[in-house]
Amino acid sequence: MRTFGLYVHVPFCGSICSYCHFARTAEHDAARRDVYVAGVLREFELRRQACPALGSARRPLATAYLGGGTPSQLEPDLLARLLAGTVGRCERTADLELTAEANPETFTPGLAQAWLAAGINRVSLGVQSLDAGVLRRLGRACDPTTARRALALACASFTRVSADWILGPGVRLDALLAELDEAVALGVGHVSLYILEVHAGTQLAARVADGSVTLPSDEHVRGAYLAAARRLADRGLVQYEVANFARPGAESRHNRGYWRRQPWLGLGPGAHGAWGRWRRANHDDLSAWLADLDAGRLPEGAVEELRPASRRLERVVLALRTREGVPLSWLPSGALDLDRGEQEGLWRREAGCLRLTGDGFLQLDTIEEALARRL
Amino acid sequence: MAFDRERARNFCIIAHIDHGKSTLADRLLEVTGTLTGKDMQEQVLDSMDLERERGITIKSHPVRMDYRDPAGQQWVLNLIDTPGHVDFHYEVSRSLAACEGALLVVDAVQGVQAQTINNLYLAVEHDLTIIPVINKIDLAAARVDYVTEQFIDLIGCDPSEIVKVSAKSGQGIEELLKAIVDRVPPPKGDPGAPAQALIFDSMFDSYVGAVAYVRMFNGTIAKGQKIRVFSNERQFDVGDIGWFRLARISQKGLTAGEVGYIATGAKDVRHVRVGDTVTLAETPCSAPWPGYAEAKPMVFSGLYPTENDQYNELLDALQKLQLNDASLTWEKETSAALGFGFRCGFLGLLHLEIVQERLEREYGLNLIATLPNVEYEVLLRDGTVQLCENPALLPDPKIIAEIREPIVRASVITPKEFVGAVIQISLERRGVQTKMEYLDVERVNLVFDLPLNELVVDYYDKLKSVTRGYASLDYEYVRHRADDLVRLDLKINGDDVDALTCIVHKDNAYSWGLKLCQKLKELIPRQMFAVAIQAAVGSRVLARTTVQPFRKNVTAKCYGGDITRKRKLLEKQKEGKKRMKQVGSVEIPQEAFLAVLKVER
Repeated sequence: MRTFGLYVHVPFCGSICSYCHFARTAEHDAARRDVYVAGVLREFELRRQACPALGSARRPLATAYLGGGTPSQLEPDLLARLLAGTVGRCERTADLELTAEANPETFTPGLAQAWLAAGINRVSLGVQSLDAGVLRRLGRACDPTTARRALALACASFTRVSADWILGPGVRLDALLAELDEAVALGVGHVSLYILEVHAGTQLAARVADGSVTLPSDEHVRGAYLAAARRLADRGLVQYEVANFARPGAESRHNRGYWRRQPWLGLGPGAHGAWGRWRRANHDDLSAWLADLDAGRLPEGAVEELRPASRRLERVVLALRTREGVPLSWLPSGALDLDRGEQEGLWRREAGCLRLTGDGFLQLDTIEEALARRL
Repeated sequence: MAFDRERARNFCIIAHIDHGKSTLADRLLEVTGTLTGKDMQEQVLDSMDLERERGITIKSHPVRMDYRDPAGQQWVLNLIDTPGHVDFHYEVSRSLAACEGALLVVDAVQGVQAQTINNLYLAVEHDLTIIPVINKIDLAAARVDYVTEQFIDLIGCDPSEIVKVSAKSGQGIEELLKAIVDRVPPPKGDPGAPAQALIFDSMFDSYVGAVAYVRMFNGTIAKGQKIRVFSNERQFDVGDIGWFRLARISQKGLTAGEVGYIATGAKDVRHVRVGDTVTLAETPCSAPWPGYAEAKPMVFSGLYPTENDQYNELLDALQKLQLNDASLTWEKETSAALGFGFRCGFLGLLHLEIVQERLEREYGLNLIATLPNVEYEVLLRDGTVQLCENPALLPDPKIIAEIREPIVRASVITPKEFVGAVIQISLERRGVQTKMEYLDVERVNLVFDLPLNELVVDYYDKLKSVTRGYASLDYEYVRHRADDLVRLDLKINGDDVDALTCIVHKDNAYSWGLKLCQKLKELIPRQMFAVAIQAAVGSRVLARTTVQPFRKNVTAKCYGGDITRKRKLLEKQKEGKKRMKQVGSVEIPQEAFLAVLKVER
């Protein structure tokens, strides 16, 4: 059955993390959040008018994802209104996956109850670390005790819990492995482990430039990444994408949709959508997004129709990230020295596919560039 | 109005780079009313973008100005703007040969520079009347008295002969025009004698064919007549003739003393080469104007399209450039590393750079140029001699008796405090000093016999750097001389990169090979796998380095909008990679092929 996904971007945060480059703001109040939710509903309406397939029973909604920003900044009644006016108006599959992201410090028993009542069945907690020093370097507003409490609460309230970890400055390998063990023991069935990226214009970039933050060496990051993957596999969480590990069956279906090029609808400032050959990007800026909606226009900053070459590139690059890998027949001939890569442990050829190893994932950008050159 | 030789003045402007030659030309055009405000832009005679950008003049741009002096007298002033670089030495000398006078322009802040002196000698050699001009007198830092002293030392003129101007503000331009009219002698020549015209430049026009820029020395040439080019005895009908404003202005004919153009209808400019003489086919003059020489390419380089599918476009562009550039030569060549391309011959390094830049900018090509080299004479054991312009094609050493390389006599004029440094860099490049003379208390002329190959690699840059830009260089070919030369090959992951092959002196092979390997290590980006770089003479490896692969190069997060960002980044990188060349499994950036140039000794 053909399905689609829905992504709603909630741009509000309690504070801004040093490394974040997404559309987000820490300046908001109840009125602003109310206006935002009304905006999302209006955008959904406009998109339904523009795309009749959205209302069709033959293409139900299979996954929805509230990301940010920090969705847990929304009051429960606003969140319920948002979901009712979007997810609630779609044809849905019986097993709809409905994920929301939360920061540990905002994840309270009251919020958990409200989210369950609103139909949210998967929670993704932005833990990042259980080390006070690491959290401080990242500019996170959370402390280890609060994070542990939130993890325990999430695992007690929801059957599907994911937690994010970051591999960045100050991370020690033994501590990281112990933290992951602790999370899995609490019942976390899905872990996203991100190698920290420094984006231009962030606070972190400035601190790296002035020397007040030192990034770990590539060799250190490689060792930690490979060791963490091994430890998670030992605990039953299998790596199914560059940064994602899950118990079999607990994978994020929504995120898998991205890598398998399923269509999705994006709502909210900075949200992207992909439907067929079309790629749509909303205005990052909340005011610009609202202004277009007020004028009755789709709040889009960029709309692009993919050319066949771009489409081929997209599908190869996305498949390469996954455990299943890329069908060998999709690879441009001569782009990769397949034998040498296998000898040097970057990939394996299995089931007619090229599947990257941990070291291969670590060299993903290099491999992608080599492929892009020939596509 | 008939041409009145007594009321005509032919002159050029010579100056060190940046001393305001083009701005002065602009101002003369404006003050004489040759240009009105709406035609006016900076460096109006430098028509190529490249010339404006680099502030240099590549082609000659003559212009005829009608000037009415304050007393009401009409004059015809022919300004011949000249190219200003050692590569175009011969072209400059022909432009000077077409004039009776020269404005020697010196910047009031910088004072006399090396190029000023070289240009001055050239002008004196051609027996031109020199008008010393101090420019930029409006600047706060102007040192008019100091430059006046320099002029007096240099040319022994009277202070009152020096004209002080600001080309920028227009100050002094009227005085300068008066000096030109008063001091430059009128052109000599006999309108009744057989026609004799010197070609001082030429260009190709797609409508009328090759156009010769000429100075008429004797006789008259009229539209419709049959002309003959002296050296090659080709005959052409004069399709159009006339003189220059910003564009060409048709006339009935040109007579002795005039400067103008003759449209020949020739298919390319090689038939009307600079320095040649044009006469009438029916009643030719008895001898050509002296000084003709065919400019020979001295420096060679392989030009390759980075994308193989641009080969035909490159061929087409070279053909078009050659229509207009008689000194550019090329032949087809194949490189194992770079594919199909052309071995091109140039007058010198600037000529090479200009051609390469024009191919890239005007024709939209992406090029890789190999290390410039010279033409070797290879004496084989069987007694035959082969010419070799491409180091990769040097015959097997086993059958070579000796390799001879071109030696030039390089003349360096430098302030005396840099003599030691100049001698040192020259000796390091296998130069042999043959002469040292003081030109005045400040300036020394040093002469070296120097392998041309050493000169093209980095001598000029090095000379400029050790003399803080004060030295000037001129050189001429003297002979080929045998030396102990070997071919140094570069291998990347075991594959020969023929485009990086060079011929070096045996004593320098090891240190050169090592430095080259180190330089390539810096320039070749990390790749998926380790890259081994080796330098070898024959089967003997002299040096090796390794580019280690990345340990980590990954964008960890890829959801939603990240996908588009990632794809766009890859598409952008792919565009950037067009300047990379794949050798075996290794991507080599274009700069690597010029790395040999940047190796410090």
